[in-house]
Amino acid sequence: MKNFYIFIAILFIPWSFSMAKYDEFEDGDDIMEYDDNDFAEFEDVNEDAVTESPQRIITTEDDEEEATVELEGQDENQEDFDDADAQEGDTESEPYDDEEFEGYEEKPDASPNKNKDPITIVNVPAHLQNSWESYYMEILMVTGLLAYIMNYIIGKNKNNRLAHAWFNTHRELLESNFALVGDDGTNKEATSTGKLNQENEHIYNLWCSGRVCCEGMLIQLKFLKRQDLLNVLARMMRPASDQVQIKVTMNDEDMDTYVFAVGTRKALVRLQKEMQDLSEFCSDKPKSGAKYGLPDSLAILSEMGEVTEGMMDAKMIHFLTHYADKIESVQFSDQFSGPKLMQEEGQLTKLPETKKTLLFTFNVPGSGNTSPKDMESLLPLMSMVIYSIDKAKKFRLNREGKQKADKNRARVEENFLKLTHVQRQEAAQSRREEKKRAEKERIMNEEDPEKQRRLEEAALRREQKKLEKKQMKMKQIKVKAM
Amino acid sequence: KPPATETNPALEDPTPDYMNLLGMVFSMCGLMLKLKWCAWIAVYCSFISFANSRSSEDTKQMMSSFM
Repeated sequence: MKNFYIFIAILFIPWSFSMAKYDEFEDGDDIMEYDDNDFAEFEDVNEDAVTESPQRIITTEDDEEEATVELEGQDENQEDFDDADAQEGDTESEPYDDEEFEGYEEKPDASPNKNKDPITIVNVPAHLQNSWESYYMEILMVTGLLAYIMNYIIGKNKNNRLAHAWFNTHRELLESNFALVGDDGTNKEATSTGKLNQENEHIYNLWCSGRVCCEGMLIQLKFLKRQDLLNVLARMMRPASDQVQIKVTMNDEDMDTYVFAVGTRKALVRLQKEMQDLSEFCSDKPKSGAKYGLPDSLAILSEMGEVTEGMMDAKMIHFLTHYADKIESVQFSDQFSGPKLMQEEGQLTKLPETKKTLLFTFNVPGSGNTSPKDMESLLPLMSMVIYSIDKAKKFRLNREGKQKADKNRARVEENFLKLTHVQRQEAAQSRREEKKRAEKERIMNEEDPEKQRRLEEAALRREQKKLEKKQMKMKQIKVKAM
Repeated sequence: KPPATETNPALEDPTPDYMNLLGMVFSMCGLMLKLKWCAWIAVYCSFISFANSRSSEDTKQMMSSFM
């Protein structure tokens, strides 16, 4: 019953609101505020209601009515209801009648004339029109999107064609040198798919394996992002070229310990900053290769002179001079661990893992406007790679060189350990504390009080022994110092 | 000889992820603030993200980002 009453009350409130508004509509002046269409019935009555309105308005809210009056015809009435009494207003207008009688007559004459004034047609605002012009934004955007999609399709196809052209030219050479060509790693066993592995619309991978001295060779065709319109536009500002990156992972026993790099000066400077091994072992700036007959564009970064001497044999020099424009960088390293990891010192507790690797980065000629035919010119570079693999296997440092190399590596390790000494100490300390805590917990958890006592005693004895050991060490150090 | 399992190249291009995020942000802005240009930029971002994405990524995720 209570709920029913509440429901009725709730219904009553909006109804009362609507009734209140309806009252207001009956006032002529208020009508002008609202849409004419809704209250068209009041328009005819307007002039008649006007004379009555002053009285009504006085009784309701004067301020609102005065503010909303718009009709010229009502100006007279405004004067009227400015006065408190309508009748008084009439009587007051009498003295004016003589003086401004004509004017007064004209006014009613004037108002109908004004009413007959042509209605000015205002232009419909653009967003309400129903023509093409109002949709220019949409048309522009859709055109842009269509252009992007077209560029995507064209770019994707071009990259695809280039990749397959490269693969077709190199297939024979690869298949003659490697037992396994093309494995995407999806099967557990190694299976030769004989196809490129497409990672992206602009990156293609190929894994070759099954050669005597190397674990495997990963070839990455890093094309330009022809499928992305933004990239295409950026390339118009800054020309770039497709790249072929080859990474040969050598077996441990098949390569000696040295770090060596050859390439364009710009590339070497960048690599020296980025690569962990080059920055640690090759401290000098890249040297010019003119001594060995290399063109000026190429420079050499090496751990020791002996390595350079050993690497720069006739055939290698021949390769480098003839294809200098296509070579970006060549790096042989037994301490290769990738680019420098940007870690905080606190996190680095172990040296990064190193692998014996040969890295080659070649630029595809054409600097962006490559055609499938250009891929053929990269074939000799692949031969160079094969030759380098064999060379790296054969090349061995002499005794001096080996000693130097070992010293270098020990130095690098020592430096690293010094850096991380504090962290390792902290790590050891925390491990010890963990052990103690675990032991205490074990003791606490023991239900048998006898066992508890025994464990506690054992722990105490262990701690005492440790203290004694420390004291002995301190005494020994003191004696030695003396 | 063992095959390679390179699922994560050393240098991963962050473009598709950034574009995905931007697209979502712009689409939210466009929806909440009723700005048409925001919505269009969001569509563009999702297209760019799709163009730069790796083939290993979910197609379902791509489709949802278009939405």
